[in-house]
Amino acid sequence: MTPSSTRRKPAARRRSARPDRKAWTFLGPFLAVYLFAMILPICYAIYQSLLKVERSGPLGLGEPKVTFAGLENYTLALEQTAFLEGFGRVLLFGAVQVPVMLLLALVLALLLDQVKDRWAGLLRATYFLPYGIPGVIATLLWGFLYVPGISPINDLLAELGFQPDFLGYDSVLWSIANIVVWEFTGYNMLIIVAQLKSIPQELYEAARIDGAGPWQVALRIKLPLVRPALILTCVFSIIGTMQLFAEPLVLKKLAPAVTNDYTPNLSAYFDAFANANVYLAAAKSVLLAVAAMVLSFGFLSLVGRSRKEDR
Amino acid sequence: MPTRRRLLAATAAAAASPALAACGEQAGAARMTKQARRVPGRRVNLVFWTWVPLQKAVALWNKHNPDIHVTVQTVPANTSGGYQKMHAALKAGDPPDLAQIEYYALPEFMLVRGLTELSAYGADRLKDTYVDWQWQQGVFAGRTYAIPQGSGPMGFFYRADLYDRWDIQVPRTWDAFRQAAMKIRKRSGGKSYITAFPPVNAQWFASFPWQRGAHWVRTEGNTWVVDLTSEETRQVADFWDGMVRDKLVAPIQDSQSSFFKGLQTGQIASWLGAQWQDALIRGNAPGTKGKWRVAEMPQWERGEHASANWGGSSTAILQGTRHPREALKFAHWLNTDPASIELLVEAGYGWPSVELELEKSPLGKPDPFFGGQVYNEVFQVSDRNVDTSWRFSPTTTQSYAHIQDNSGRVVAGHGTLQDALADAQTKFVDDLRAKGLDARSAR
Repeated sequence: MTPSSTRRKPAARRRSARPDRKAWTFLGPFLAVYLFAMILPICYAIYQSLLKVERSGPLGLGEPKVTFAGLENYTLALEQTAFLEGFGRVLLFGAVQVPVMLLLALVLALLLDQVKDRWAGLLRATYFLPYGIPGVIATLLWGFLYVPGISPINDLLAELGFQPDFLGYDSVLWSIANIVVWEFTGYNMLIIVAQLKSIPQELYEAARIDGAGPWQVALRIKLPLVRPALILTCVFSIIGTMQLFAEPLVLKKLAPAVTNDYTPNLSAYFDAFANANVYLAAAKSVLLAVAAMVLSFGFLSLVGRSRKEDR
Repeated sequence: MPTRRRLLAATAAAAASPALAACGEQAGAARMTKQARRVPGRRVNLVFWTWVPLQKAVALWNKHNPDIHVTVQTVPANTSGGYQKMHAALKAGDPPDLAQIEYYALPEFMLVRGLTELSAYGADRLKDTYVDWQWQQGVFAGRTYAIPQGSGPMGFFYRADLYDRWDIQVPRTWDAFRQAAMKIRKRSGGKSYITAFPPVNAQWFASFPWQRGAHWVRTEGNTWVVDLTSEETRQVADFWDGMVRDKLVAPIQDSQSSFFKGLQTGQIASWLGAQWQDALIRGNAPGTKGKWRVAEMPQWERGEHASANWGGSSTAILQGTRHPREALKFAHWLNTDPASIELLVEAGYGWPSVELELEKSPLGKPDPFFGGQVYNEVFQVSDRNVDTSWRFSPTTTQSYAHIQDNSGRVVAGHGTLQDALADAQTKFVDDLRAKGLDARSAR
């Protein structure tokens, strides 16, 4: 070995061979759980989505057999207009709800950053509190605030001469959006706040010396620097929107407008558990996962490209 | 490197393992029923999933049968979670021994082979104790799969005091029903309606085409034929379209707090309901005691007694039990023993599935809540006039949900019930085909 090669080799080895074994040991517990709780179920779902039940005998009530279906379940799912309309609905929902929620979270985070520390803690906790309430409970609470005859909001608005119908065909989607905003704004705010905290103080000092006011600091320093947090929360929100489930399921009891296929996730749920067709449900779940992936990665590549263009 | 390769190989093997395991994928229940040998002196334990409060009857059984102990586990009612749970338990191979399953859901459980074939355990000998059409609900291809518990003949519950005050005759025909509905709107000063029209209740709505003589589902050879657009159904849909359009009915979902509030306050002056709803009205509108009466459903032709059924349950023995004989013995006792039936009637479980001598039964007593009327005499007439050739498909839960999705929209002012049913018919057929069954629309 020449001296020059010995100088380079250890560095390379440190990255590949030697730390491997130790790294795997540390990664082991995580990987085991990940494999068991994520990879295996996903593989099983994909496998099930390719199966179907073949029936025989009088009226199909004879011995059923599970056979390979190819992509039949997928074509069946894509032929169901109600299922596709569910996708359209969550997309519309996301296009409105995600920007509103993130803007709100950003504004709250920026305001909190201005507030004195003692108050900031209390306010942060207050804004974050709704996230601690399970979605089902939150929806039940809001449900009471939406139902005419019980809701104080309806009563109050009636006094003012309005006749709101929060659970009607055209409005229930936005009533759900309201619940989701209420639940998750604080959570997203917290992620942005954490990013704000990591901005070095020197930058602010430098800006102040350069004569920047609080507005300019917010727009030219804080906003560009919390960009990674915004992208992260946006991806989380896109995935969360696609998987919209608990809120519409709970409101379904109160609002006939929420149908069995209201969101793709609801549609898969009813196929699996009310209609006992797990294979079709698996296909729908896979389609949903693919759509969420396409949207998330599409969004990431979009912001990635615009960042490159900025440079 | 070798370690990594080995790890990758292990990962691949692990990923492939579900695929290998799934080669034994079951189309339905994961475990088949098998009779376990009775060990003398050892107690047999049976688990029974139900949402009907029949604990008292079960306690009575347990008292008299120390060697076969039944444990009641309460599950959410039918499609609000109970059936979901049962399907999951069947698939997992860990079902309860007995379960409450409504007549309309039996074909769905048949399709996943979720029910124990009871003919093999001597169930056919018990047949004559039961009302034939109710027994037939659990018979498929000549074999018996469930023990009937009770049904729900339809009737017309009405507030006699309000009808008297407004000087309105109890409607005997659907024409008269519409006339009465208009009078009620006028004479109550817009406060009351003749009935609520639940926006999303296909089981309730189905009772009207059923009464008219429609058959939503029938079979031809091995094909399921769906018919939501027959002349009979269209006539019924047209009638209710008019009632909804002219705002003669209150768009209130039944069995919700606002519905019971309506019964209590007189906003809902009458209700087309099943016999088992007597308990619901009694329990949720106690302030109206003595004011209710029951009449037959309004008729399409004057002087007829056509009727329909809403609801009805069986005691089924799920696939996978180890004690089918004992479970069958219990199911038969629960639904035929006079002492048990008396307790079940108290619990409001419906119209008995056994041939009934009304005078001797607690159901045949004058009831102070209904102003001393022996109101079950009306339901007895109704029960005898139910068209028992009505059938349920193996996709009723899902297909009725399509109807409900559409009817909800109609009640909110979009479209007509006629169109809603025509649209649901297409989806109904798709549901059946998605299950791998032969199906077509009737027209």
